[in-house]
Amino acid sequence: MGAERQAVIDLYKTLLYMGRDYPQGYDFFRSRLKKAFQRNSDISDPEQIKMLVKRGEFVIKEIEALYMLKKYRTLKDRYSTEKENNQ
Amino acid sequence: MASFGKVLCGTLFTNPCLRVLSRSIGASKCYLNQSKIINNLHIQTCTAPVAGAGSSRWYSNTTAASRLSMIEVETRVLKTVMRHYSVKPPMTIEQIKKRVLLVLQLYDKVNPDKLSLESHFINDLGLDSLDHVEVIMAIEDEFGFEIPDEDAEKLHRPKDIVQYVCDREDIYD
Repeated sequence: MGAERQAVIDLYKTLLYMGRDYPQGYDFFRSRLKKAFQRNSDISDPEQIKMLVKRGEFVIKEIEALYMLKKYRTLKDRYSTEKENNQ
Repeated sequence: MASFGKVLCGTLFTNPCLRVLSRSIGASKCYLNQSKIINNLHIQTCTAPVAGAGSSRWYSNTTAASRLSMIEVETRVLKTVMRHYSVKPPMTIEQIKKRVLLVLQLYDKVNPDKLSLESHFINDLGLDSLDHVEVIMAIEDEFGFEIPDEDAEKLHRPKDIVQYVCDREDIYD
């Protein structure tokens, strides 16, 4: 139980740190994240927990990609002229 | 000039001689730069009246109109609270207690009436383990250092957090 618990808490903490720059706000992200974790709080099978933690790590990668995309778009907007934006 | 230097190096000059030479070269360069600057200044003074003929002022009126009074500047600049992570003011146990309790009061799921140094996060305040992680993160932000998960698990009461921060900052009574 100890190792899985550690992994889940670590995942939760990492996701909370990631959520600080979430486009829709930190509070939005936090409440959603909490609900997602609470939904699976009754699972005690180690294999299943391991699978869910893997999914969580995938979500971390997705959020990272989202931030990269947002940054890219912001930069692109900044360097393009009004004409290009309207098209 | 570079080829001249190479020739000198090739003829096995001793170090002091080379140093004197390089100094004289440097001095001549300085002189060249200065004369250039003087020339530029001359050009500017010549052109300035022509450019400034249209308007008597060189800066815009709007900045002067919306300029802040000295008092406003002082309140904005001098009284801003800055947090230095390298240099900290000395802390006492009482201050740490107050800061920990303040952080906990600001956390939305904690009932400020029930909160005391002795109250248990999970049993008394009704938080779950995920809330506990958030509380620990808030404490990390407040004091500017990271608490490892193994240590965070043992911090069940505000009292424990105060003790942990004191140990960390080397504060004893």
